[in-house]
Amino acid sequence: MAILDNFLLIGLPYTALIVFLVGTIYRYKATKFSYSSLSSQFLEGRQLFWGAMAFHWGILFLFFGHLTAFLIPRQVITFNSHPLRLLILEVTAFAFGLIVLFGIITLLVRRISNPRLKPVTSRMDIVIIALLIVEVVLGLLVALNARWGSTWFAAVLTPYLRSIFILQPDIAAVSALPWLIKWHIVGAYVIFGLIPFTRLVHLLVVPLHYLWRPYQRVLWAWPRKKVRDPNSEWTFTKPGNN
Amino acid sequence: MEWKAMKIRIVSLFFLAGVFYGAAVFGQSEGEKLFKQICVACHTIGQGKLIGPDLAGVQQRRSEDWLTRFIRSSQTVIQSGDPVATALFEEYNRIPMPDNNYSDDQIRAIISYIAENSPGGPGAAETGGISPAPGRPLSEAGEANIQAGKNLFEGRTRLNNGGPTCNSCHNVKNDALMGGGALAKDLTDAYSRLGEAGVKAIVGNPPFPAMKQAYQNRPLTETEVFDLTAFLQHADRVRDTQQAKNYRTQLLFSGLGGALVLLLLFGGFWTRSKRGSVNRKIYDRQIKTI
Repeated sequence: MAILDNFLLIGLPYTALIVFLVGTIYRYKATKFSYSSLSSQFLEGRQLFWGAMAFHWGILFLFFGHLTAFLIPRQVITFNSHPLRLLILEVTAFAFGLIVLFGIITLLVRRISNPRLKPVTSRMDIVIIALLIVEVVLGLLVALNARWGSTWFAAVLTPYLRSIFILQPDIAAVSALPWLIKWHIVGAYVIFGLIPFTRLVHLLVVPLHYLWRPYQRVLWAWPRKKVRDPNSEWTFTKPGNN
Repeated sequence: MEWKAMKIRIVSLFFLAGVFYGAAVFGQSEGEKLFKQICVACHTIGQGKLIGPDLAGVQQRRSEDWLTRFIRSSQTVIQSGDPVATALFEEYNRIPMPDNNYSDDQIRAIISYIAENSPGGPGAAETGGISPAPGRPLSEAGEANIQAGKNLFEGRTRLNNGGPTCNSCHNVKNDALMGGGALAKDLTDAYSRLGEAGVKAIVGNPPFPAMKQAYQNRPLTETEVFDLTAFLQHADRVRDTQQAKNYRTQLLFSGLGGALVLLLLFGGFWTRSKRGSVNRKIYDRQIKTI
């Protein structure tokens, strides 16, 4: 078992980190325009709204939740030391976990069932969605069966993750944890390593500047409603491509 | 007094203080340090059984090779079907001894420390054996200690050195408490299983890897250990009259409720966002002309 632990908890994170770094840089240099989520809103919007909304809000909350416990473990432990605050945090995080699951399943169903999306769906899309579903289900099971994760993450996993980053891996504590938790950690490493090969690269190029760039005005030189009605005749200008 | 003589005295005072300090710090051998850090939580030398066996003379009963394998990973030895290891595991209530990632030299140092302090060894006459510091006996604990222990366990009182609250990983069946964690062992009957010395030893100096990590650099104080042990003894005594709580189902359903609220928020807030695809509008428009 020690060999497996060493591989999954030391070898794998470093492999994933190197693959991630080399892969993302290479892809950016080689095919810059593929750095995108390759939006398919044009082809289907209703399922996308529910799937993408639920998934993205949920995953942002959970990602920053995990990051907070990694960056300021002491404060998280202090916050959780009161039972009521702990319960509020756990229930909130669990609810966000559930909407991530709801969202990602909606997105998978959308990809598979809608014939319009077939041509723009690659095999890697399905692989990464399937992996995310496994990861989220594992995370929810950890939250349910190994309570209360928000505290012990800060107390036990943070020192482990820190030991990885300072290149002095210490897996004594983490290898004693149940396999359910270890598979959730392993799943995270696998997904992290696959980022450069999937549409997940879009998380590196989130268009945050949209929030403060000046908005663009679109001017129409003719009454749009009228032009769009196919029964009306062309009165002045023949419409261009809208 | 002449200044020169005074100076010599001051310097020699500092020198002597340094020597004593050095002796106190470096005089401890590697074996002693490791034994007192880890092993003493569950074992004595010549002072009787604790959670694990009395280790007096263990170096004569077992081979060095066997001891090394067992100290590194007792469960591996047990699973390999070793009869002695299996019998010990059964005798000591199937409480697994944690693995220790020690080098051969470190293990040899521990074994020689045990040999020195076993009856007949050079250290034994001086120390009379090794056991955890006795501390206050639990019979002195009163209602106030139980209450203080309960508050510490649940987190209403913060642990002095900033360690995580017990109930983030452990559950104790007690009506006065919120349901605890499920990562580690349920402690409702910990006191019957481990006894006073066992509970105190584990709480004060956790031998299990994850717990050891969680309380590294933030150990519990002696008072906290005492109060928590008093609370665990009380919880064990009253356990038959208490109701078990199922936080698993509650967490699941309150989470589902929360998820529903979030979905309603999305549906309500972003009512004006485009949900139909662009193509459908173009498609419909084309259909109309036919």
